[in-house]
Amino acid sequence: MVTAGRLSYRRYRIEIRPAPDLVRLPPRFRVEVKKHRLIGLVLEELVRYRGDLPVVLSRPCVYGVFSRPIGGLAPKEELCVGCLRCTVQYPDVVQIYPNPERERLGDSYLKPAHVDTLLYEARTGHVPVRGAGYRGPFGGAGWDGMWTDMSEIVRPTRDGIHGREFISTAVDIGEKPALLAFDERGEPVGTVPKVITIQVPFLFDRPPRSARPRLLLEILVRAAQEIETLAMVPVDLVVRFDLAGPHVVPVVEEETWRWLVQLAWSPRMIAIEGWDRERLAELERRFPESILCARVPMDSDVLDLVRQGARVLHLTADYHGRRNGRFVMDLIRQAHQRLVDAGVREEVTLIGSGGIVMAEHVPKAIICGLDAVALDTALWVALQARFAGECRNPETALVSFPRLEPAWGIQRLKNLAASWRDQLLEVLGAMGLREVRRLRGELGRCMFQAELEREAFAEVDGYRADA
Amino acid sequence: MLTRRASEQSIIRKHEEALHQGYRRWPTLDFGLPPAMGDERWPAELILATWLQAETGRPPANGLEYRVGRSGGGFDALDFRFLPPEQQLPESEPVDTSIPLNRRPGDRAVEIPIPWYGGGMSFGSVSEQIMLARAKAAKEWRTFTSTGEGGYPESLVPYRDHVITQIATGMFGVREETIQWAPIIEFKYAQGAKPGLGGHLLGDKATVAVARMRESVPWVSLFSPFPFHSVYSVEDHKKHIDWVRTINPEALISVKVSTPTDIDMVAVGSYYAGAHIIHIDGGYGGTGAAPEIAKKNIAMPIELALPRVHRFLLQEGIRDEVVIMASGGIRTAYDIAKAIALGADGCVLGTTELVALGCTRCGNCERGRGCPFGLTTTDPELSQLVDPDWGAERLSRLYASFQAQLRDILRRLGLRSVRELRGRIDLLVYRKPGDSDEWANVVGSGQAR
Repeated sequence: MVTAGRLSYRRYRIEIRPAPDLVRLPPRFRVEVKKHRLIGLVLEELVRYRGDLPVVLSRPCVYGVFSRPIGGLAPKEELCVGCLRCTVQYPDVVQIYPNPERERLGDSYLKPAHVDTLLYEARTGHVPVRGAGYRGPFGGAGWDGMWTDMSEIVRPTRDGIHGREFISTAVDIGEKPALLAFDERGEPVGTVPKVITIQVPFLFDRPPRSARPRLLLEILVRAAQEIETLAMVPVDLVVRFDLAGPHVVPVVEEETWRWLVQLAWSPRMIAIEGWDRERLAELERRFPESILCARVPMDSDVLDLVRQGARVLHLTADYHGRRNGRFVMDLIRQAHQRLVDAGVREEVTLIGSGGIVMAEHVPKAIICGLDAVALDTALWVALQARFAGECRNPETALVSFPRLEPAWGIQRLKNLAASWRDQLLEVLGAMGLREVRRLRGELGRCMFQAELEREAFAEVDGYRADA
Repeated sequence: MLTRRASEQSIIRKHEEALHQGYRRWPTLDFGLPPAMGDERWPAELILATWLQAETGRPPANGLEYRVGRSGGGFDALDFRFLPPEQQLPESEPVDTSIPLNRRPGDRAVEIPIPWYGGGMSFGSVSEQIMLARAKAAKEWRTFTSTGEGGYPESLVPYRDHVITQIATGMFGVREETIQWAPIIEFKYAQGAKPGLGGHLLGDKATVAVARMRESVPWVSLFSPFPFHSVYSVEDHKKHIDWVRTINPEALISVKVSTPTDIDMVAVGSYYAGAHIIHIDGGYGGTGAAPEIAKKNIAMPIELALPRVHRFLLQEGIRDEVVIMASGGIRTAYDIAKAIALGADGCVLGTTELVALGCTRCGNCERGRGCPFGLTTTDPELSQLVDPDWGAERLSRLYASFQAQLRDILRRLGLRSVRELRGRIDLLVYRKPGDSDEWANVVGSGQAR
């Protein structure tokens, strides 16, 4: 790393600090106590234990749900972790129910369990660790039908995760020509590499149209700066809110093109919505130092765009990871493979967004072929945003944020990023990979449910590969 | 002081008694199904059915589903293609459920009367009482249980002929005598719930006693390294085995691995390094603590790994020289039978045993004082909620129920021995829930056969 003109080494890490929720969540469980039966139970035990009050009043909950002086008559539902010990012991006195209010968090794609996980990550910066094994469906559509590989013994990184060796999560975004040409004086001519290195393989996508307050954008930009990644911000808001800086990526659309003239600084990267050769040429003239990124639908013909000169493509899908009915996992694989087959994959950077809401989706998307992902709804959830209905279409999704506090918001996003990075290290470490760049397109280091089932169950009566 | 201690004991007895009553009362369904209990892999009815089997030694007859969960795939999408009743074996026909644990000529013959044994659960992840209960049940059934990676409590020594010593990457509690005592030594290369990561014991549970056993510092989290720093090849692995067999030449060697893409090659490598047992732990296995990302996303489920390994070992011509034990999501007798039909010789049980002892699968094992039911805890007070004799009886009854069901399955398939079931994938039927009304009824309504 070059600092102030001299070489120095700083090991990359993201500072985490507790950042408790601003908005109190509904408790996970409802504790319903039949009060008259509880009183009856206490009276019965008074007789049975001959008035030995410590015994009679000892309560089954080790988490303090019944720790008020009147115990079960006023349970502290917010402390209930759903262990069910109370109801196992006294089924006729107490019942535990999942709280339906909690079940309403998120939407049909970003489910309540995802919200819980994201909030924990944003609150603590830690990797979620729990007891008991996996609890969900066997597999499923989308990311759930994909598993990453591990290595039993071969692992060049040794203790990478826990500290002694370093696993790099840095990725490069930009133009990377396949070969360099030099003139007779040995100076490079023609296209030269133009890349930005970000320290994590994820950047922040712009917020949905319904929620772009200044404070939110400032939080995104500052957090991106501290994490050493990039934040995409609509160019008009970059200008209006004076959000200049090396970590800001102005996003230009047809209707905001005119704001470019007021952009008084040269961004490291500029994104343009859609593919427009003339506009890109114009941008290149105005900002010769900037990397240009075209945001195009994920099912675009990427090879055609690359042949037309695109070198950084941001492939977009809706927030549920769909584009024209297809899921991003397949679309990313298709785009990546098309570039590989044409022998140009190394020259192009693919960023992708949509449907990436959990830490594990990042390595999975990279395995499918992305260089980096742009995060969206996961960021808003980390900042305790609420969705009004389905949060699917970036143009129409209604997302509301609590009253944001800059320091809190920045820390929440740093915590989220730290947690996701640490989880990425777990995945890379398990595979024995020393850097995330090597994960890109490594389909040999993953397993797809459909393929494994075809192999395992082909001879089982009733199994249909197409089912 | 004496009064306080007496009071404490009364408190523990009061809650122990209430818990025991609860384990009996809930499966009667008088209170319905607990609304907040269960998940797709372990639905509430499966948990209650396991409690009931641990209580009675028989499968439920009140409609509780005891064979499959609701995960929508793997074991839950497989069923058996039973013979028509007239072709099934009669009740009077003896059916053998024993399997050998060594198929290599020249080495010690070890046979267990049921095709399963208990998996590794360390002292620290579970209480000493639980370890003892499992060891007692293993002795009664002439099978095994495993120490896990946390040392060998003295109380297990009387059961040592039925205790597998596990050697894992942290080497916690591994001593020369614990290797000498063991009839089977298990090298844990990886664990299904956290493949590619070492063991996790968070600080809250690293009590003074646990730390002493592990020769570590109390209340400091313990993350075992990954992988073995002495093993980077099959040849290194063989050196490990040679080292252990120098200390205990009689011991069988088990190699516990997870399920990467090249699990077939791993199995062959382990065989050539000298393993008698290859213990394959699928990605959906249990744990006392693991990163959530690892549980769900790294390595494949056991159902998909077994056919691959079985076929490859057959092709290599070595299938009959090595024993494959499957774990990682084996919940029921039906799962055991299905795993064997998919290519395993037998299974290794973990979570199922804990459920039999009262686990509700709440997943709070790793934090604070640990399990509020006294299972995955080392809290001196909570761990007293489980009496080892009571626990051993429950496990024994669960085993009895499983064995009866396994015999029933084999009879209905026309097989006289569980050994004949191995790799008989042709006896399975794939029925995604909803495929047929009959199957939907079985899975959806919890109607027992």
